[in-house]
Amino acid sequence: MAWPALVWWTVFFIVPLFWIVLYSFGSRPGAEAPGPVALETLSFDNYRQALSEIFFRVFQITMRTAGLGTILCALIGFPVAYAIAMHVPPRWRSILVFLLIVPYWTSFLLRTFAWRIILAPQGTLSEVLQAIGILGRPLLILDTNAAVQLGIVYNYLPVMILPIYVALERIDTSLIKASMDLGAGPLQTFLQVTLPLAAPGLFGGLVLTFILAAGDYVVPTILGGTKGLMVGNLIATQILASQNLPLGSAMAVMLIGLLAGVLILVALLLFVLQRLLKLVRGAPL
Amino acid sequence: MLAPYRRDVNTVFQNYALFPHMNAAENVAYGLRQDGVPAVERKKRVRDALDMVEMLSFADRKPGQLSGGQQQRVALARALVKRPSVLLLDEPLGALDRKLRQQMQVELKLLQSQLGTTFIFVTHDQEEALAMSDSIAVMRHGRIEQLGVPTELYDNPATAFVAGFIGTQNFIPGYRLGDSLAMRSERGVVFEASRAVRGLKYEAHVLGAVRPENVLLAAREPPTRNRLTAKIAANVMLGDTMEFVLVLPDGRELLSRMPRRDVDILPEGAEVWAHWQSNAFTLFPFEDLESKQGKPWSN
Repeated sequence: MAWPALVWWTVFFIVPLFWIVLYSFGSRPGAEAPGPVALETLSFDNYRQALSEIFFRVFQITMRTAGLGTILCALIGFPVAYAIAMHVPPRWRSILVFLLIVPYWTSFLLRTFAWRIILAPQGTLSEVLQAIGILGRPLLILDTNAAVQLGIVYNYLPVMILPIYVALERIDTSLIKASMDLGAGPLQTFLQVTLPLAAPGLFGGLVLTFILAAGDYVVPTILGGTKGLMVGNLIATQILASQNLPLGSAMAVMLIGLLAGVLILVALLLFVLQRLLKLVRGAPL
Repeated sequence: MLAPYRRDVNTVFQNYALFPHMNAAENVAYGLRQDGVPAVERKKRVRDALDMVEMLSFADRKPGQLSGGQQQRVALARALVKRPSVLLLDEPLGALDRKLRQQMQVELKLLQSQLGTTFIFVTHDQEEALAMSDSIAVMRHGRIEQLGVPTELYDNPATAFVAGFIGTQNFIPGYRLGDSLAMRSERGVVFEASRAVRGLKYEAHVLGAVRPENVLLAAREPPTRNRLTAKIAANVMLGDTMEFVLVLPDGRELLSRMPRRDVDILPEGAEVWAHWQSNAFTLFPFEDLESKQGKPWSN
């Protein structure tokens, strides 16, 4: 009885993806031709054009920004999720989770624009930092990669927290008691019981955050200026500004492929690490 | 106070609390790893522990692939592999069905006598407590109400709570007659006892207690002092025994239990005499058992 999911998947995922892939092999239509893409002659021209040095440099920056952002989100998000799931009484938990989501009732754009005010060289943050002597000159973070990084961490933090929270909240607390009972201290218990059991949530959060961050173009557009470009900007520029849907599609397909490659690489790395860990620990029998 | 993970006590948890991401052998090895037991010795001890609970052939199964009874065994092996001086079992058999539970009771008892380790077995099931223990502590609101061997608790309970908790009791509220071993019920019937709890005051508010197996039924008025007329409300077949639910004229219930071979089924509504010997009747200081804990004496 999986067909409703299958239909949903097909209509909203497979079909659009198919069109993007198809468009990426097309060409820009002539002035009088109808439709956004000419599909009479299919070729790899768009890919040849997209495989430029700029694309890879921007892709590199994108990976760094998204990767670092994901790691920062995990470092901030895990303790938050852990505190809510393990140290807050059940009736307060849903309220706290609700409070985490409340800011998202405001538009993504508005929240990101708000950071321009906070981070502005003449803004409050800048003045406070100068007043207490941390900075000797105005804060010059706006329209740089650092601002994009910050915006990404801010925007995707809940995407990281929620799956981790759900995984942690499901852990039976008697398992932690059992671990302590068997002689494991708090840190060993965390590493050997809590963390492995929360791993599915953590991986979910990491993958989701990374994919969303890597494809983002709103945050770099608003906070990054010209220095903080990401792949999303390149694609958006091709499709929206240059009206070059075929080239944009080719870039999008390349982004999807490269992202998938990165994720597979990370998954392989984790698998090997796990095997190594097992080898080091030795078989139980 | 010593942190839990530094105590020489291990626990079998109520819901077993096996680590779901580890197989049976890894679960058992967990405690030994924490102590840094060398690999060779660790493997041997894990194997021995699994063998002891007959789970060696399930060593590589995850808890989710094991039945309740099997999980129970793994939990037992996991706790015992550390050779604690005391093993705490927190209602370990509560989730098992009756037959498996009785089987595990026997196995636990055998295991305990083989190992010589002290087992502290927490249970709400008084039959389980009687059947398995060398010594029972009846707890109430976190305090020990009475500590003793099973026969002592059963035959000489210190309070009405213990009397009702271990086995079944009929309680009759009333007042002690002076400082004698007799009481007058609220309806004015006098009953004779052979034992009163020490320190019972003059004319004290008391609960007289008689066990169902000591309540006999007779068609004609018996010569016994402790007797009442009653009506049969229900016959309950318990296998080797019959239980009669009697209703007294004041509406109270009285239970009587007799071996099947000694009695026939009595028709419901039949009028009978219920009677018991004074040496089966004990006086306790009155306490309101029903309001505090439900009915601890009912099964």
